[in-house]
Amino acid sequence: MLDLILLSSHLPSSNLPYLFSAFAVSWVVLFGYLFYVNRRQHEMKKEIARLQKVLEDDQPEG
Amino acid sequence: MTGLLGPIMVIVWKDVLLELRSRDLVVSVVVFGLLVVVVFNFALNNTPGRSEELAPGILWSAFAFAAVLAMNRAFVRDQEQGGLEGLLISPVSRDAIFLGKALTSLIFMLLVEAALLPIYAVMLDFSALSWMLILTIFLGTLGFAVVGTLFSAIAVQTRSREIMLPILFFPVLLPVIIAAVEATTRAVGGETFIGLGRWLPLIGVFDALFLVICPWVFRFVVEE
Amino acid sequence: MANIQSMEHTGSLGRLPSLKTALAAITGVMMLVDLYLIFMVAPTDSVLGHVQRVFYFHVPIAIMSFLAFFVVFIGSLMFLIKRTPKWDAIAHASAEVGVVFVTLALITGIIWARPIWNTWWTWEPRLTTTLILWLIYVAYLMVRSYAPSQSKGAIYAAVVGIIGFIDVPIVYYSVVWWRSIHPSPVVGPFAQADALDGTMAWILLYSFITFLFFFAYMVAERMELRKTEEALGRIRFTLRRKGR
Repeated sequence: MLDLILLSSHLPSSNLPYLFSAFAVSWVVLFGYLFYVNRRQHEMKKEIARLQKVLEDDQPEG
Repeated sequence: MTGLLGPIMVIVWKDVLLELRSRDLVVSVVVFGLLVVVVFNFALNNTPGRSEELAPGILWSAFAFAAVLAMNRAFVRDQEQGGLEGLLISPVSRDAIFLGKALTSLIFMLLVEAALLPIYAVMLDFSALSWMLILTIFLGTLGFAVVGTLFSAIAVQTRSREIMLPILFFPVLLPVIIAAVEATTRAVGGETFIGLGRWLPLIGVFDALFLVICPWVFRFVVEE
Repeated sequence: MANIQSMEHTGSLGRLPSLKTALAAITGVMMLVDLYLIFMVAPTDSVLGHVQRVFYFHVPIAIMSFLAFFVVFIGSLMFLIKRTPKWDAIAHASAEVGVVFVTLALITGIIWARPIWNTWWTWEPRLTTTLILWLIYVAYLMVRSYAPSQSKGAIYAAVVGIIGFIDVPIVYYSVVWWRSIHPSPVVGPFAQADALDGTMAWILLYSFITFLFFFAYMVAERMELRKTEEALGRIRFTLRRKGR
């Protein structure tokens, strides 16, 4: 009974900011992680290409 | 089975002897246990009326923190003195090494807890001795020792060893702490084994489970 | 789970990107449909109002975080037994993606609790177990990065993965029993899932399958990143040997 009284003091429509933030946070976190993984992938590939070039430049002398 | 028991007892005997001779670890852990009780007493606003309610929780918080501290120190010292390497070179089975170390920690912790219990009984105002309480303390500490020894072996080899053990230890041992506090509450209230409910069996199952699993994974932790 | 196993059979680096792209495409489409279902089709809860729709994200994400840890467990177990790096890669990737999911589960759980029960947190069994799971994930990842070497890190992490997974059900029951002694009128978002009917139930199921694909895709991405990390490591090693 008491919880019913407590609940009715929260108008459902006024909770929309919570609805929004829950979904917004979900997107930010999920895509944030994917973005982070992709960026590291990109940086590493660049580094590999650079080091590969150093290796090739070495070949004639080595 | 005797093949296992022999090496275990040798390890335990050596470590316990080492401890009793230097005594610094025992004393510092007991003092630490006292400090935890004092801090929690004020932090939780422990008044005579609330003592009955808060005492088991304060007791087990102190035991848990003390256990982490003790096991951390024990393995660090072991690593510094090369004790573990010596054991690994010898043909002793990994299971025996693990059980030996865990038993050592168990005995050590039980001694510390035995020293602290009368002091707690006075400070937290509960009538200490009942067989159920002793059983609870034993089973709970066994859980701490078994899982704690495995995690200590890992933590001592990591970069941030002081922080690594608590981070591994507490989440996994939470059920034991919950159960131990509940069982202690009833034990202190004079309950019999049945009256303790499912809590001691929970700790029992936990202990049995990890007594089988931890030795098995320990060999992977110490292999070269 | 089926996707993880089919990923297992891809032998070369070449086939992984296209499986990944397929997963991304499927996930994208499914997610759009999911959002449509959640906002356009799902009925409005008569008591809780629109904010209840958070539950169509929170529950699947939370369940997924537990499933991810099951994958970590299997990967850890197989790695300790067989020692093939592939198992460690699966465990590691699932753990990283899993920690993202469990973090999100906690955050959405908190955002749910506030408007419904006027409190930020409830020590409800499922939410508490989710918190402990989060702590175990964090311990898993920490042990891996704080270990003295990569190979040791893999072993220690596998041990944590195994011990942690076995511990989770014990944690859950201990909190359930504790709760029955210390009850509270506040109920977490999971409890809603028990009292479901018709439309809500199958939208929830669909949402779960969507996140299953999303998880598989993210793990595929992470595993490809790991392959790149290994390639970088190899080339650095070669250069160091040549004295550069």
